Amino acid sequence: MRDDTALWDVPRDPTHPIALGPATLTPVQLTRQTLVSGPNVLHQTDLPLVEWPGAAPSGPYALALRRDRVLQVNAPETPDGWNDTTQQATSDVTDAYTVFDLTGDALPLLGRGAEITPDIPSRSTARLLFGLGVFLYRLEDATTYRLHVPRAHAEALVKHVETAARLRAR
Amino acid sequence: MTLRLPTGGLIDRSKPLHFTFDGKPFQGYAGDTLASALLASGPRILGRSFKYHRPRGLWGAWVDEPNAIMSVTLQGRTFPNCLATTTYLEDGMEARAVNAWPSAQFDIKSGLDLFHRWFAAGFYYKTFMWPDWHLFEPMIRRMAGLGHVSPQHLDDYSSDQTHERCDTLVIGGGPAGLAAAEAAAQSGQNTLLVDDHATLGGTAHQLPEIDATPTPDWIAARRSAIEAAGGRILTATTAVGIYDHNLVGLAQSGPFGTAPRLIRLRAGRIILATGAIDRPLTFANNDRPGVMALAAAAEYLARYATLPGRDIALLANTPEADTIAAQLTQAGATITRIDPAQNPLSARGGKRLTALQAGDRTHPADTILASGGLTPLVHLWRHAGGKLDWCEARNAFLPGTPPQNMTAAGAANGTFDTDQALEEARATGQNAPIKRPAPTHRITPHWPTPGSPGRQWIDFQHDVTLKDVELAARENYTSVEHLKRYTTLGMASDQGKTSNMPGLAAMAAIQGRPIPEIGTTTFRPPFVPVPIEMYHGPHSKQLWNPLKRLPLEPQHRTANAALGDYGGWLRPGWYGTGDPETRAQSEARMARDTAAIFDASPLGKIEIMGPDAEAFVNFIYYNTIATLKPGKIRYGFMLTEGGAVFDDGVIARLDANRFVISCSSSHVDSVRTHLEAWRQDGNDPDRIFIHDTTQHWATLTVTGPKARQILDTLDLDTDLPHMSLRETEWRDTPLRLARVSFTGDTSFELSLRASHAPALWDALTQAAKPLNAGPIGVEALSILRAEKGFLMIGKDTDGETMPHDLGFPAPRQKKTTPFVGDRSLHTDKANAPDRKQLVGLTVPSGTPPLPTGAHLVTEDAPPRSLGYVTSSYHSPTLGRPIALALVANGTDRIGDTVTAWHLGETRQVTISPPCALDPEGDRLDA
Repeated sequence: MRDDTALWDVPRDPTHPIALGPATLTPVQLTRQTLVSGPNVLHQTDLPLVEWPGAAPSGPYALALRRDRVLQVNAPETPDGWNDTTQQATSDVTDAYTVFDLTGDALPLLGRGAEITPDIPSRSTARLLFGLGVFLYRLEDATTYRLHVPRAHAEALVKHVETAARLRAR
Repeated sequence: MTLRLPTGGLIDRSKPLHFTFDGKPFQGYAGDTLASALLASGPRILGRSFKYHRPRGLWGAWVDEPNAIMSVTLQGRTFPNCLATTTYLEDGMEARAVNAWPSAQFDIKSGLDLFHRWFAAGFYYKTFMWPDWHLFEPMIRRMAGLGHVSPQHLDDYSSDQTHERCDTLVIGGGPAGLAAAEAAAQSGQNTLLVDDHATLGGTAHQLPEIDATPTPDWIAARRSAIEAAGGRILTATTAVGIYDHNLVGLAQSGPFGTAPRLIRLRAGRIILATGAIDRPLTFANNDRPGVMALAAAAEYLARYATLPGRDIALLANTPEADTIAAQLTQAGATITRIDPAQNPLSARGGKRLTALQAGDRTHPADTILASGGLTPLVHLWRHAGGKLDWCEARNAFLPGTPPQNMTAAGAANGTFDTDQALEEARATGQNAPIKRPAPTHRITPHWPTPGSPGRQWIDFQHDVTLKDVELAARENYTSVEHLKRYTTLGMASDQGKTSNMPGLAAMAAIQGRPIPEIGTTTFRPPFVPVPIEMYHGPHSKQLWNPLKRLPLEPQHRTANAALGDYGGWLRPGWYGTGDPETRAQSEARMARDTAAIFDASPLGKIEIMGPDAEAFVNFIYYNTIATLKPGKIRYGFMLTEGGAVFDDGVIARLDANRFVISCSSSHVDSVRTHLEAWRQDGNDPDRIFIHDTTQHWATLTVTGPKARQILDTLDLDTDLPHMSLRETEWRDTPLRLARVSFTGDTSFELSLRASHAPALWDALTQAAKPLNAGPIGVEALSILRAEKGFLMIGKDTDGETMPHDLGFPAPRQKKTTPFVGDRSLHTDKANAPDRKQLVGLTVPSGTPPLPTGAHLVTEDAPPRSLGYVTSSYHSPTLGRPIALALVANGTDRIGDTVTAWHLGETRQVTISPPCALDPEGDRLDA
């Protein structure tokens, strides 16, 4: 029985942007995140499909995660469960992922967490960043990188990016 | 006596730097290393050997230096084991030899050398056996090792880590590397050139001109050409290792005292232009201060404008010797060329060299420059899995069958002639490698001669002599790997850069076998020592293994929770201040008397959906799940293929094609992986889909006799049978209300979106207050579940526990459809009569709880373990200790009294059923 409270920083306000020198990490509140799986889900979706590096539009879109799975962002609400007609499984995961936009001189920071370059495309937006499973892609402006991180690891991701910014500045 | 020349070199004479060595003041210049500044200033003894504390001077000029290892203090911060030859001088440095006291010049342990006859290789294996090795171990460990880690904690000593890519990586910025990088960059490849020196050029600085161009201009032209073609250059950057798929570890050094940056570089192809180093000649007293590598002398002269000595005896069999001898003569040294084939050879002098004895003749000398030939630096080649070929003409191992996408050029490839090396490097850079040019010179081999007189050093740093190698051979340690471990040859911080070749040549000579038959030891990263800090970088403290954070953490902190690591989550262990045990007991009592609120958010919420979902979960679970009706919940086990219990928990059926698996909190990730593995193996992955929604939902458990009263304040319909689930809404947000209990009391689990959890927490805790109920932590929950005999996987089970050991034999006997682990439950081992089974233990009231881990033993002499205590607590409800244990054939022993043993103390305990409280289950619907 050990009280380790003091070893862990108090979680920060999830609404405030975080300054990282030449970059900024800004929390994003999405209306909805929906996990959809199915044998042909990549071809069935009507939403713009975003891969890496991607160009996510301002409206709803679908992140390609794997050959049979997408994460719909801000898509219309659909019932959870198995849909026999579409042969798709759907789960609302809006609160499962915390979302950030990384703007400014972002790539050097991302390069500290993963072997990553926009020059090499990937069919999936899923990757490990600083050892944490995230979905990573660019918005249409090609300078904003958007990150979806499992909520329970959001604090760790922010701390990793902050540390990377500090070490980079040295 | 200064050995510094008035002109020349790469040092900046306008910037004098002051430093001390073993307390004495010295001066060098910007651009000096510690070693070059000391060499120029006069001291010859810069270190002491590892075992005999023999005085040692400089052998090398860069990474091949085995002797000059120092603790260096700058601005109050001390760093151990700095190699003087690679540590660039900074003003105010205080250096001390690591293995000497009070100084390298006058070392108090130097007398150990008088006893060298008793300290031969492996002496400690033979000497310190009686009465017990552990008696001597502390003293030997104190004496062993080099340097002392500073007790200072340096908060800002942190390594940056980054990832890079390139088409072509050229390792080594000497003539070949520069030429290869230029060719690669100009042919359109994204090229990166790295060199471990602060300045480019490598051995080029030893040459007055290259391609008829003065060397400084030639180097500058190559640099400009590389950068103009888009290539990048990193100096002070060492390639320390090559790993799978052309991943190269680059250590980029900064100013002294800063942690190196780790660059994980993925290279399309690698050109190895790492050059070659001199290997020592083996003769009597060849370790004396003043015996130096010929190539090192050339480097000290070219880079640092420093002579190695004034009266030099030169022993070499390489063609470079003539050029270097001429340069040294021109710089003012007196050179005496001596044929290294003369026998016997012996260095004369103690702390300072006085002469070289060659046969009958004595040649006065303050310095001996020696070279037994050049050894290509093929470490990285071998890291990558490249083969080595023996070259008789060059007397060296050269790069042979290459690893994928890797080529060697220049001296690293055995092409020692500069013109040939440039041609080869340019072709390699253009990705059109040519055949290795024929050697321009065939060197005469000079290898160690077994049986020759005198103490002849093979490994300078670890004090391994030719006699040690002979001893190892006599004792049948003839494999190079055995030789290395028996004698410690090549195990020091230089990892045998100078000693491996003489060592295996000596073993070859002793056995009368050719050198290539002896082979080499395994080359492993890192190529040079690097701080451990570089490997972990920012992954420390909260980022070492980041715990998962609860959505209600702010609320728990406000409620004064003591947070801790429980299964990878930062969770409340208990609430409030004071003795933790007292707090946990108080919370457990409250849960039994009134009600408790527990944050169960980490519990798994893995959804299984699809037309084959029912068959899949029935296959995954030990228990029959196919008969589960929508809205119902069932407890069950998942097993490994070996039949061991992998996880337990409940599964709920939401509709015909949708299940939710509520696995244990710490196993969510592994259960998800387990499910995915089986989904894709033996099942149709297009008919089953697995969504881990654990972090979307927060779960709050309300348990206790007054749980229903608390829920009534939420206007929820709590008329729900045990092991049922209802999907409803609370404040317009979906809520899953489940009747399931981990305490044995009436319990409800309320799951809703994590962002709505604070509102639910506030509502529940407000409703609980008037009832004298409130939140409880994991510690209290552990007591409550143990009172009921509810197990925790991994705590009350081990890697061999099967479900029938836990009192769940039915599916093994009755389930007719296949399930994971089925076959393993019918083996002889699974049916052994002495399997450890989960039982309870009863100890008399008033006695303390049993220690967890205490063994239950037989009365035999010596006693034999029957099993061990897995969980143990004081039960505030029962007023006595309770415990769970895994005991051999435990079920049949219920009622028996056995002895519990822990750290020499014994107690009598009675084996009982696991459930100690309310075995009839009356409280479940109280």
